[in-house]
Amino acid sequence: MTPQDTLKEAKVFGEGLERVAVRAITPNIFWLTHCLGDLAEEYYKEYFAVLPNAEDYAGDRIVDYPFSSFLIVDEKSLLIDTCGPKQKDAFLDAVQFCLDGRQLDYIWISHVELPHAGNTGSLKRIWPDAQVVTVAGGENYDLHGLENAMTAAPGDVIELGAHSVEMVDALFVDHGLSQWLFERKTGMMFTADWAHNLHEPAKCHCFKFLDEMLDTGYDAATHIEDIKVNAWYQFPWLAWCDADILCEAIDDLFEQYDVQILAPSHGNPIRKDFKTFIPAIRDGMRMAAEMPFSHVL
Amino acid sequence: MIQHITDDLYQIGEHVQTEHGFEAVLTYVILNDGNPILIDCGSHIHRDSVMAQLNELLGEAIPEYLLLTHSELPHAGNIASVAEKWPNIKVIVSNVMLPYIEVLPVLPLKQITQVVPGTKIELKSRTVEFVDALLKDQPGSHWIHDSRTGTLFTGDGFGYMTDSAGSQTVINGSANEVSQTAFEVYHKIAFRFLRWIKPERIAEDLRKMFTKRNVQVIAPIHGNAITVNITGHLDRAIAALAAVNASYKK
Repeated sequence: MTPQDTLKEAKVFGEGLERVAVRAITPNIFWLTHCLGDLAEEYYKEYFAVLPNAEDYAGDRIVDYPFSSFLIVDEKSLLIDTCGPKQKDAFLDAVQFCLDGRQLDYIWISHVELPHAGNTGSLKRIWPDAQVVTVAGGENYDLHGLENAMTAAPGDVIELGAHSVEMVDALFVDHGLSQWLFERKTGMMFTADWAHNLHEPAKCHCFKFLDEMLDTGYDAATHIEDIKVNAWYQFPWLAWCDADILCEAIDDLFEQYDVQILAPSHGNPIRKDFKTFIPAIRDGMRMAAEMPFSHVL
Repeated sequence: MIQHITDDLYQIGEHVQTEHGFEAVLTYVILNDGNPILIDCGSHIHRDSVMAQLNELLGEAIPEYLLLTHSELPHAGNIASVAEKWPNIKVIVSNVMLPYIEVLPVLPLKQITQVVPGTKIELKSRTVEFVDALLKDQPGSHWIHDSRTGTLFTGDGFGYMTDSAGSQTVINGSANEVSQTAFEVYHKIAFRFLRWIKPERIAEDLRKMFTKRNVQVIAPIHGNAITVNITGHLDRAIAALAAVNASYKK
């Protein structure tokens, strides 16, 4: 199986808690993703229990939640995030498969949490010349295992050959020092922890693109619900926000960037007709901000 | 450097230098009548120092619990050394955390318990309560309240920079109280979401949290424990959040 064969079907490395799959989004951009599959019910049993509508996630709809990286292979190669230490061996095998003998030139980190940056040291041991890129702003990156990182700010660009990536001001974040990334040739926007759906292993959604999931019953209403629930979980600060202001920021983002592909860390990427999904993303975010938050104070 | 805070509560740890000053990376230790409790366990880059300080403070006592405010490396990066020395230690994390992927894989998952906000556990002479972390980066974070010392362990919340690496001193007098500016610098880096909030809303929730329970000590991981003028420090932290929010509108 060649890396480009994964345009049509996934190649899976490892299994269970360690598994990582590869799908090609384009011939030169790869989605490397871990999710639990059949183990999702066991591991997410408690996770959704505090939702106001927890019963929707405990019955027929058993959902799964991916942890993803993306790899752009051009004259230079750039890896977006690193998956987590638990998936280290499978992830390193997946990266080497996609690189197909090339060097890894950049390890670009959206933010410092383990599932996003936790394999940086292991990658550096294989490719010691790879440059780690993090967001500027004052963090001591040694604390996060990201020694000697190059820092970048919104608007900065890294040229890879035919592809080039621009650092984007991350609008909706958990960790303070976070960044998003826009690839100019393909219009791929990486949004880290924002704008992701959930998927159902029972419907064979694992390692599928969201546009492929539409063929198995995934619909706009479910998409809005997923965007809402994930944002509610991910960003509890929405309790103190004005939804209108958030929606204006979303509109401004998609006016500024001609996004054709959406690549979130924790959802199924959208390769086709992305603009038709924008209303669901906006509406889901609005609904999340308007949901009740029951902080234990 | 081991610092006594109050009763059986101590802070240990190190500082790192940032472009904005020196940032504490602390672990709190409750001796708890011979059954010690650790709140966070420090950074992997301070492994030798943190373990030496723990050994000195604990002697032969074996910590029963490691309560993680959250699992990022400055808070839990030293867990491999802790697990190696005390392999039976029990770890408690937030229910929103996914231990299999968000905690370094050095302990059996069965030793890691997830708790929902509002959970209270009795640990000898004290009740430890887990509450929502109102100021947090990692979603799977919680704050922890200790009934005996009246300490609120606030993880990344209420952090601040100091102007020297030797400033690892408990805030216990009017001469070294934390300024609004010091809170502001730290919180602007740590909590980008402050750009979107209405400051009066988060202020209301913070005041409720401090009103509903006995808070005599604020214990951030990235700043020394604060044991004086709790109301004044809360006011200054709230003012700092408003100032950070306003800075995005300029």
